[in-house]
Amino acid sequence: MPPFTLGHFSQVKKALAVMIQHNLVKFEASERNNNIAEYSIIHHNVYCLLRYPKYLYMIKRIYGTSEEILLEILLNLGQASASNVIFQSANRLKEANDDSEISDPSALHQSFLKLAQDNFIIRCPKLADNASMQKVPTLVVEEKEKFTVPHLEIGPIAKLLKENATQLGEHSDSEVIWRVNHERFDVELRNVILVNAAARRVDSTAGELYHLILKLWRECSNPDSPTTNALSFNVIKDAVRKNEGSSPVLLEHFEQYLRVLYEDTSSLITKVGDAGGGQFILNYSIVFENLACATLDSIVLERFGSKALRLFRLTRIQKFMEQDQMQNIAMIPAKEAKMFTYKLLEHNFLQIKELKKGTSNFAPVKSFILFHVDLPQQVARTALEASYKGLFNAMVRQMHDLTDNKRLLDKHARLETLLESLRGEGLPEDELAYLSDSMTAAEKSLVARIHSMNDHLTLGQTQADDTILILESYLKFSSMT
Amino acid sequence: MAAPVVIKKEKVDDPRPSASADAGEGQTEAEIERRMIELMGEFPKGINDKILETDMPNVDKKIKVAILNRLLSQEKVNIFRAAVTKELFWCLKQQPTSKLKGVDSEEKIVMRIIEEAGNKGIWNRDIRTKSSLNQTTLNKILKALEGKKLIKSVSSVSAAKKKVYMLFNLQPDRSVTGGSWYSDNEFESELVDVLNQQCYRILQQKAEGAKQKPLEGPLIVRNASFLSSKEICQIISDLKIVKFNLTVEDIETILDTLVYDGKIEMSATTDGYSDGQVKTYRTVEKLLSSAGIVRIPCGVCPVIKMCGTVGAVQPKNCVYYDQWLD
Repeated sequence: MPPFTLGHFSQVKKALAVMIQHNLVKFEASERNNNIAEYSIIHHNVYCLLRYPKYLYMIKRIYGTSEEILLEILLNLGQASASNVIFQSANRLKEANDDSEISDPSALHQSFLKLAQDNFIIRCPKLADNASMQKVPTLVVEEKEKFTVPHLEIGPIAKLLKENATQLGEHSDSEVIWRVNHERFDVELRNVILVNAAARRVDSTAGELYHLILKLWRECSNPDSPTTNALSFNVIKDAVRKNEGSSPVLLEHFEQYLRVLYEDTSSLITKVGDAGGGQFILNYSIVFENLACATLDSIVLERFGSKALRLFRLTRIQKFMEQDQMQNIAMIPAKEAKMFTYKLLEHNFLQIKELKKGTSNFAPVKSFILFHVDLPQQVARTALEASYKGLFNAMVRQMHDLTDNKRLLDKHARLETLLESLRGEGLPEDELAYLSDSMTAAEKSLVARIHSMNDHLTLGQTQADDTILILESYLKFSSMT
Repeated sequence: MAAPVVIKKEKVDDPRPSASADAGEGQTEAEIERRMIELMGEFPKGINDKILETDMPNVDKKIKVAILNRLLSQEKVNIFRAAVTKELFWCLKQQPTSKLKGVDSEEKIVMRIIEEAGNKGIWNRDIRTKSSLNQTTLNKILKALEGKKLIKSVSSVSAAKKKVYMLFNLQPDRSVTGGSWYSDNEFESELVDVLNQQCYRILQQKAEGAKQKPLEGPLIVRNASFLSSKEICQIISDLKIVKFNLTVEDIETILDTLVYDGKIEMSATTDGYSDGQVKTYRTVEKLLSSAGIVRIPCGVCPVIKMCGTVGAVQPKNCVYYDQWLD
């Protein structure tokens, strides 16, 4: 590989600065020499770049368009103060509405407060008090201040908007900087998976109830612990009654839905006590183990077939099995059973454990050969690595398709913008048609095809990301207990 | 003058009329034998010396012994020793002895060994060890017995070449034939698959039926979608898919395979009617419709391990991607 030349030192500095601005790189004083800063990558944040479209979609679904715009601006800026974000969002909305009306920044202010309240955005650490004395400054943020929005002055913002200004300039809260809170979005993405599982298991009303209970748990528990705090039956009942969106079916059969959910084998809700009508928690490690198993089952099914799936599940449920037992209980003919067993073994889904039987020193010692599934170490990690690889391949392919056809795509993009601007200026249709014929129909259909391939690949990456989220969460929670 | 006195002797009633017939001489051996067999018939649990004494006290012991020994050699009677008193008992042999006519003693030994093996059958080598006969003699005897239709050989399902011998009219045990799923020592996988799908369909229909009444609440819907293994067995038997009788255990083995497929779940409940636990089953939905990764070609690619940025297998020119993107 050719050696990388980073170019001029100032370019390096600029690159680092950009990455720090976007929360991808952090720095701290080196252990050996306090005057030198060491830079390191924040892996998770880099990975989450892929999830930005998902974030926007979720925020739009939960709140609305103005919150979505706020988030988009914040994602683009990386780190910004509240006033700046509001100002830029207002500008964006103005452009979108064709300068007809100037949106009121105080509505955006309310949206910003909502996002902070629900912890989707978080304050960045600021310079510590003694920072000026250190060569490499330390950054701190206080626990209770993480989500508090400082007082903003909306007046100046509104004035600048009317004047069509592009920059905010000086403002009162320029020292208070915000960024997107990735951990909160992770929780939200996990909740989506859990609610879908509940809806599949029982029905959509159960999904609704579960969504509500997840919210209650989130409000009363520490996000980093492997189990939530306990909610009592009465608390849940009150919440369901008070919630405006509760469907009548849920209100009528609330107790039954709760019971069906906590009696279900998927452990979506675990009952831990009877006080207050019943105490309920969510045990993340068990639930995510079940979800990871469902994921792995699906992978085995699609790659090897239903008979292999039966053998895999059988071994996983019974812990240790001999070859003969497996083929008898699974009722699969001997030859096929052996073939699938060895295929699973080859791809690390099954492991072998040998136990010697007999203690004779002379005769060759026979041994039991037992198959077992080593879920956290082997299977989940192998599947996770394979998922990373699949995701990477999809991205490589996408990049390749785009760069190969770059010339054509650029030409198409230029033509489109030209047509748009000319149409805006009122050019007659036949002249526009003449211009658009500068690209042949074949070229246009090729462009359309490239766009559809691109969308297909993006969708594929999103789906691979779902699997990665489940497997990563499983490994994280199983290592906690 | 003294006249001779005649002392009148009264005729005394003899309580044992048979004994009045002479001490052994008048009674033929055949009659004694017949009497013994009669007695053995009256006491099916066996007669001992005491009973014989009471019945025919005048018969000489030697004669009794000779007759008994003859009966033994003719295999009409069996001799036992009582556990407590250590007395000898003789009783009639139940089986008709006619079939063993014309069979010599070696064959008798082999027959007895095979009989003892019951319906599991016994292997050639084991008969050899038990009877200590040599190979060629044994083979001759086995052939002769098979010819006379007294024994038969059944090939075991565990080792196709191994043959076990058992009595002709016995049904071979499940462990030899493999049970309901084996016919001619071959595992009938198609039958198992058909039954598998059928059971699943039955449970699905029950669940669908239960979902038709959502107004009663999800708990009712869930409980209504359970079926017990007995009920499923009944339904399948009524459908007459298989020619033989399906037992509840057979159906439970099929249902277990469905549990391991992840399509149904089992819960054991106690039923008010029967004692012990009743197994009930219902369909369950998987937690995920399918893992995201399998929706892209890489998730199911057979050559994923060889894929990289250089080499023959690359995402840039991957045929699976080409097909998928079209």
